[in-house]
Amino acid sequence: MEQNGYQKQVREIYRFISDHLYYNRPDMEVKGEHFNSAILLSLLTALNRGKELIIGEPGLGKTTSAEFVCTLVYQFPLGVIWGSEVSGHPEQTEEKIIGRPDLGKLNRGEEDVVWTNFSQVPVKIVDEINRLPETKQSMILDGVDRGNWEYLNEMIINDEYCLFATANYHDGGTNTIIAPLVDRFDVMVESRYPGANLAFLVGKKRRKDEILRHPRYEKELYRVLKSKIAYGKKMTRMEEVCNAFGEHLQEALGVKPLQRQDRVKIRAEMETLDLDLDASAFTRMLLAECSFCDRYGQKRVVENCEEGCHYTGYLCHDIKNCASNRLPTSMTQYAQALAWLLGDSAVDIEHMKAVTPYAVSHRVQWRDDTLSQKERSQRDDPLPIFLAKEAVKAVSQRYREQSDTLKDALAIGAKIFQGESLEPLDGDHPLYREIKKDVQVRRN
Amino acid sequence: MKEKQPKALMDSIWPRVKRKHLFPEIPVPKMAEAAEGTEIEAAPKEGVGLEMKGKQMTIHTAFLTQLKGKMSDEDAMEALLDHGITHYTFCPWDFYTYLMLYAESKRIMTDKDLAKQVANHFIDVVSDTHCVKKKKTEIPQLYRHLTKGVIEETMVSLYQEMWGMDLGCPPSGKRKKAREAAIRRLTRIPYLDRTRWPESMQRFARSIKPLLLEQQEEEKGGTGKGENNPLGEHDLNHYSHEEIDQGLRDYARKSMALPEFREVVEDLADELKEAGYSMEGGMGRGRGSPLDADVLFYMKLAESFSLPVRKTIVEKRGSLHPHSHSPWEVGSPYHDVDVWTSFGKIMPGITQIWKKREGKGRGKVEGVPDCLIAVDSSGSMINPRKTLSYAVLGAACAADAYLRNDSRVAVYNFSDAPMGGKEVLDYTKKREMVYRSLCKYFGGGTALDLEDLIPLVQGRKNLDLFIITDMKITNLETLIGYLAQINNRITVVHIGENPYTSRFDKAAENKKNISLFAVKRKEDIPNIVLGKIKEYFRKTF
Amino acid sequence: MKGSPQTKARASRLSERRGPALQNPFQEFQNYSFFTKSIPLDRIVQSTEAVMDQIRLGYEKLLEEEAKELVWMVQYNTIIKAYEVAERYVREIDYSAEDIEDFCFALENTQKIPYLIPGPAGLYISALCNYAKEEEIVLKLSELKTEINLLGFRLTKGKRLLIEGDGGDFTGIGLEGGDLVVEGNAKNWTGAGMRSGKILVKKNIGLHTGEWMMGGEIHVGGRVRGLGNIVEGKVFEREKMVFPGKVRPPNMYY
Repeated sequence: MEQNGYQKQVREIYRFISDHLYYNRPDMEVKGEHFNSAILLSLLTALNRGKELIIGEPGLGKTTSAEFVCTLVYQFPLGVIWGSEVSGHPEQTEEKIIGRPDLGKLNRGEEDVVWTNFSQVPVKIVDEINRLPETKQSMILDGVDRGNWEYLNEMIINDEYCLFATANYHDGGTNTIIAPLVDRFDVMVESRYPGANLAFLVGKKRRKDEILRHPRYEKELYRVLKSKIAYGKKMTRMEEVCNAFGEHLQEALGVKPLQRQDRVKIRAEMETLDLDLDASAFTRMLLAECSFCDRYGQKRVVENCEEGCHYTGYLCHDIKNCASNRLPTSMTQYAQALAWLLGDSAVDIEHMKAVTPYAVSHRVQWRDDTLSQKERSQRDDPLPIFLAKEAVKAVSQRYREQSDTLKDALAIGAKIFQGESLEPLDGDHPLYREIKKDVQVRRN
Repeated sequence: MKEKQPKALMDSIWPRVKRKHLFPEIPVPKMAEAAEGTEIEAAPKEGVGLEMKGKQMTIHTAFLTQLKGKMSDEDAMEALLDHGITHYTFCPWDFYTYLMLYAESKRIMTDKDLAKQVANHFIDVVSDTHCVKKKKTEIPQLYRHLTKGVIEETMVSLYQEMWGMDLGCPPSGKRKKAREAAIRRLTRIPYLDRTRWPESMQRFARSIKPLLLEQQEEEKGGTGKGENNPLGEHDLNHYSHEEIDQGLRDYARKSMALPEFREVVEDLADELKEAGYSMEGGMGRGRGSPLDADVLFYMKLAESFSLPVRKTIVEKRGSLHPHSHSPWEVGSPYHDVDVWTSFGKIMPGITQIWKKREGKGRGKVEGVPDCLIAVDSSGSMINPRKTLSYAVLGAACAADAYLRNDSRVAVYNFSDAPMGGKEVLDYTKKREMVYRSLCKYFGGGTALDLEDLIPLVQGRKNLDLFIITDMKITNLETLIGYLAQINNRITVVHIGENPYTSRFDKAAENKKNISLFAVKRKEDIPNIVLGKIKEYFRKTF
Repeated sequence: MKGSPQTKARASRLSERRGPALQNPFQEFQNYSFFTKSIPLDRIVQSTEAVMDQIRLGYEKLLEEEAKELVWMVQYNTIIKAYEVAERYVREIDYSAEDIEDFCFALENTQKIPYLIPGPAGLYISALCNYAKEEEIVLKLSELKTEINLLGFRLTKGKRLLIEGDGGDFTGIGLEGGDLVVEGNAKNWTGAGMRSGKILVKKNIGLHTGEWMMGGEIHVGGRVRGLGNIVEGKVFEREKMVFPGKVRPPNMYY
């Protein structure tokens, strides 16, 4: 489904990053193609205006991978991206993250806000977000979620933005990322160790990021960001500079970054991709297992799963909390983006299965006994992602067994909604119960 | 039409086949060409078209060549892939299912090789029937053109009846009547109902047993080489170590029957060792020590009742240091104001104050203490190697919890200790040694020897003690006296009520470090032990 | 009245209160139609299950009528009565020899059939054998853990019943000309009251063999533990006729 050839352009960006900038091994396979999950998901995040949490050991390219992707997708020179990053440490303040009063005007008794680069620039990188105290995490919640940044009763709204947050594994200096903030991330991915040979190559090729810098354009962009013009006009002016930088990159490196209108068209193309019936039914099945509770109506983190429940064979028995409504949004958006990139005309189960573990891993709280049984398993992924992959595998096996009956149940649900007097199908899976509940609402 | 190269053909049909089966998580299959100079008939596994190792399927081109003229390469390849994928997606799906089917087959067949053969045939029947019913497949075509042995002919005749297709296999030969009787019985089995597979497996075995026994008799006079299944054999090569481990764990948990578990593991011991599976699970280095099925049973069962690993905590130092900012409010003290972030202004909305926190560091890390487990294996206790002993299971759960948290475990297994009925294992992290000590059974009188216990306890400040017994200890007073002196956390689990338990109750009444649990149902022991451990771990952190 | 202004106004108020039409969350599945391929196996399994249900029901009704509180004593009149009841239910079912065998195994599965009372069960199975369409019935019962008594009761002429496995007590009693073969052992009271026909037990047999036997033959491949009061007929032990022959006391030692 290549309409304007943007897939080719994005693939070239992917190839450029993996060949020259971020050395790592492919670790996921979709439709016979092999990708590195960190680069792929970062690209999709950037294209989709998503939010990504990148975890990993220190020094394994969490921040740099995000920076490279942002440079090539949003055409910002690396120097500007560096200057717009927020680093997570306990002494961060609202003034350093969002904006501060104009001191000159403040002394004159006037209120005016000087917005930080972070709040203005569409690419937002928060480095080591789990070092931010919980209070500061709450502060950036709204901005992260909707692109609204407010200070001293003034507000700017980012039309287009993507967020990358990095986090090291838990140690003495880290806090937990608060649950509402974690839920707002679309995906979580690990930036892995590339192996001794590639790591050696990384060591040999120093300062490779120089190719993504341009002092003149960086200076120009800083000037625009500092200026006092209205935010809307600032963005237009920044775009012009970015486009110029993009042309420079194309000349110098042979890779064509994406302009704003390209990104808008890409998103429009992505949105036209529908989920096929299997992908839709599978997603519903997974969501049902992640939220259903026979005893208490829905999963709640404060309520324990009782022994002897009929549904102990399903995911709802292994997890503590309920799936949020952001989960299906993330799954669908990323699956559409992946299907678009692969040139497919619809989103199918394979796309869904590829992205779902990354969308689910940070949102699910596993029960202790599930953790203890799996934590020592042989794996390549960190535990949360591994558990999510195992869960997706199990759900997809269950789907394979009863796909026809499930789809039939959903079809009957559709017909009941249309007013036909049919009885909803009975089945063992929680989704059948959910269909019955929805149908009951319709009848009432 | 120019024939496609096998690899190119695979690349063209794999996406279609994968989609047909709703994208199973298996890698792209490989093609194995026959080596140059090798006759097609002398391929490594004669007449075998499909091999599966782990999740990797390999199709032998020599097999495709044999079918030339009867079936196109594309159809043959697709049929083989359908068959292989369905083993992954439907039957047996996981190692636990394979074990369960084998165990049911063994009940009827009694001979392990025959049981394996029957289980494999059942698995093939289920998979192929599922595929024929649910998908569009060329499997029937494949069977029509395969060279068939005696049992394969019976299977194909069965397929004819079940699928309603002529596969070119009319019942004939000297055993026509017996075969017809077998097929009549075999067609009645609900193969596609997974919930009834145990029962179906038994019925299948019963029906096919006479034919297999006859064939075995006939083969005794021959080369002894059985027929290779052209669609690939089922063996432990299909599963990774993790899957084998998980399967054994599930089987232990679902059967909760030691003799059954032992029988299955002993039957498959050779294959498990070939696959490199060792007692600790995962990759073993070569053959190593033989698998002890009883010990493995308790090990796997204890893993089902497990607690997550506790992370090491960091200690708080006690001194305060500035940590983060928060907005200043009118009425808040001034001395914490951060002048710089407040831009030199004292006004609400601008001024920020420092919030101070205790510093943290990795000082003296407590972690999880070591554990001493004293388990009673006198005559009044169940022999753990004969039937499931919940006492030993409880001890195993305790051992597992401490070993997972990187602590060491010592075992004092006692019966009539002064007379030599004891096993003392010093502190160790070696899981297998711990479990072997726990599973030992003496079956004699019941007496502890303090001279064994004291060296294990003395000098260790943080040590948890677990004692599992029925309390019918002849020198109970001595034990009570000793336990009263030490300050370690002691959990005593005793089974049933008797005068000794009330004596112990009374003695332990005022000791806060001793927790006593009287268990009416043996099944409660593991949960009690784990509950106590959870409490200990919570206090530690 | 339909369509009256008041009715329309009421409907309009109702729909306003209900709010806008609910969005159909299953819309995309509207046109999905479930087509499942049927294979002969489905039909076979379905009919097998249906027949098994009928057979099971018949047995449960027999127990209800004849084994109140699940107690049943072996006596002449109880046997006759229970068999008559069994016949009544069995006549209405269309089944095959394999169904009888499956029923024997289903008796051991307490989830399917909660109560196995060997006497009524044996009579029920005997009725099933006698009314089966096939002339020769093979019951592969060697894997059965329980012994079923009263198998082969009143086996009629022209019928051949082959039991692969062991028989319980009262095997082949009241035989009426049929041919009964037991591949394994039989227990006590084998062939009691038989009128005609042939019983072949390939291994050993218990006490009271042929008690009140009126005719026919009993052939035993192994040992006969004890003969009963035989009126007429023949009993062979390892091809040697032991009745009519020297009277011998029952052997209690093996």
